[in-house]
Amino acid sequence: MPPPAGMVTPEERYRELQDFIENAAVAMHWVSEDGTILWANKAELELLGYSREEYFGHNIMEFHADRPVILDLLNRLKRGEEVHGYEARLRCRDGSIQYVSINSSVYREDGRFIHTRCVSLNITEEKKAAEVHHRLSAIVESSDDAIISKDLNGIIQTWNAGAQRIFGYTTEEIVGKHISTLAAPDRVDEIPNILERLVRGERIDHYETKRKTKDGKILTVSLTVSPIRDESGRIIGASKVARDITERGLQEQALRDANAALTRSNADLHQFAYSASHDLQEPLRMVVAYSELLQKEFGTQLGPSGAEYIGYTVQGALRMEQLLRDLRTYTLASTSARDATADIDASVSLDNAIKSLAAAIKDSKACVTRTDLPCVRMHEFQLEQVFQNLIGNSIRYRGSDPPHIHVAAARQDPDWLFSVQDNGIGIDPQYKEQVFELFKRLHSIAEYPGSGMGLAICQRIVERAGGKIWVESEPGRGSTFYFTIPRTAV
Amino acid sequence: MNLSPDGVRRFTLQSRGQPSSEAASGQNAVSIFLVEDNPADAGLLRKSLEQHDFEGELVIATDGESAIQFIDLMDSQQVECPHLVIIDLNLPKRSGREVLVRMRRSARCGKVPIVILSSSDVQQDKADAARLGATQYLRKPSRLDEFLDLGRIFKDILGGSPR
Repeated sequence: MPPPAGMVTPEERYRELQDFIENAAVAMHWVSEDGTILWANKAELELLGYSREEYFGHNIMEFHADRPVILDLLNRLKRGEEVHGYEARLRCRDGSIQYVSINSSVYREDGRFIHTRCVSLNITEEKKAAEVHHRLSAIVESSDDAIISKDLNGIIQTWNAGAQRIFGYTTEEIVGKHISTLAAPDRVDEIPNILERLVRGERIDHYETKRKTKDGKILTVSLTVSPIRDESGRIIGASKVARDITERGLQEQALRDANAALTRSNADLHQFAYSASHDLQEPLRMVVAYSELLQKEFGTQLGPSGAEYIGYTVQGALRMEQLLRDLRTYTLASTSARDATADIDASVSLDNAIKSLAAAIKDSKACVTRTDLPCVRMHEFQLEQVFQNLIGNSIRYRGSDPPHIHVAAARQDPDWLFSVQDNGIGIDPQYKEQVFELFKRLHSIAEYPGSGMGLAICQRIVERAGGKIWVESEPGRGSTFYFTIPRTAV
Repeated sequence: MNLSPDGVRRFTLQSRGQPSSEAASGQNAVSIFLVEDNPADAGLLRKSLEQHDFEGELVIATDGESAIQFIDLMDSQQVECPHLVIIDLNLPKRSGREVLVRMRRSARCGKVPIVILSSSDVQQDKADAARLGATQYLRKPSRLDEFLDLGRIFKDILGGSPR
């Protein structure tokens, strides 16, 4: 309250009022009917950053960012309206924009427009905060995830579009309801626990659980729940982000099913391998033994053609037997239940392979030489199988000279590089990939017997051990088969 | 002595050129218990034994169940202990493994030599047979000559010559 009249002179009162207005915390100005700025106080000049000279006498329209806004404002005032809380954007000297809320009316004398009485409140901070708020709301609203807030009693406070899409409830239906409305029947118990943890300030990250939609469908969701604090740091509620991972769960289930199917088919292959070595051999043995018995006991009565036919029968059955045996080896090499867990001495495997081939080596007058061989992580019988197949092939596909076969190993980090070199007939380079295919043969059975599985078996074994196998060859000059086996850490 | 479960058949082994009546009761007569469901294999085995001058009795059980019943008869002294037992692994009703275990547990005849004769060359089968007490594991050969030669191996197991 200003001091009562009579204690100060009118001049003093005028100066006081002038000082009061000049130093008021809100921006004020007078503008003439045509928009010319007649006067503004310090707060207004400070708000916009202009000096008196830069501001007074200029048209107010120069300082408004939106021309239609100031035109409208002036027209209203001219029409005699009083404006309250009229929002406008002003351009500052530094180019920035300030938001103001304008209250204005016209001072008239005898109905004549003298000047406006304009008070502008700076609402820039509020505007910016609202903008951020608006942007955050838009993010929340546009999220595919359900974003929900609840108080510490578990009462739902806010509900976004994602939540509506996932759970089916509208904001009106769910806000004010307890969060357990969303729990699957068997998961209601976990809600108090979640609320307790929140009260302690804990955050719950990617917790996988079951939730129920409005129409009773059970969803698998991944929950992240974090406490919400007020300005003083007190926990007042929680935000909850729920992602519907039902689809992902289904995909994972499909993957598990496929895996189980693979395991089953692997088991079937094992069963087949066992059958190939047993059940399927049985009838073949009958064919061989009884054909031979027939030949032995009744051969003379069958004549020379009969003996020939029986010979073919026996040969066919024996060949079938060999195929079954090789197929079993091939299958076991592919499905071998366990990986090798210990290192074996490759030279022992080579010794065993040479022992198995003793007859063929002797008959062909073959000479097998070798370098020192390392220890590798493999099943001993499998490496033996590789050597036996490769050396066996070198003998089988020999040239006119007695076979000379050289087995070597060299360190080629991170592997051991093994080689089996011969002086045999060699392989036409165009077939160097195909020779590793199952049942692939380059020669007739009559020329070179064999099941066509030996190299396929080698490839399976080497690849299972983590290596590669290939051949380099020049027809007529011999072949070198190379294979790698990873070196084990010492 | 004609006590036999169903599924057990008795045959007289006649070495070539010897009259049968004497063979079964003679000093050198042997009794062999064969557990084998495949008549073709049983036939070849019988041929092989006879070619190697075995004389006596060949008792053949054609499934695991009757084999075990026959071993029960051995234990209750209703039949004599055989000199040699030959068991196939893959049998109807009860497996060759079960028959092997039962035979080894026989109070009366548990010590007789037992040969497993199987078409399986799976390492696991051989290892199992050894673990369960088989005297020897033989793979059934495909070739006639090798099959007929099995008799020689049985002779070795029985100590050089049939008793």
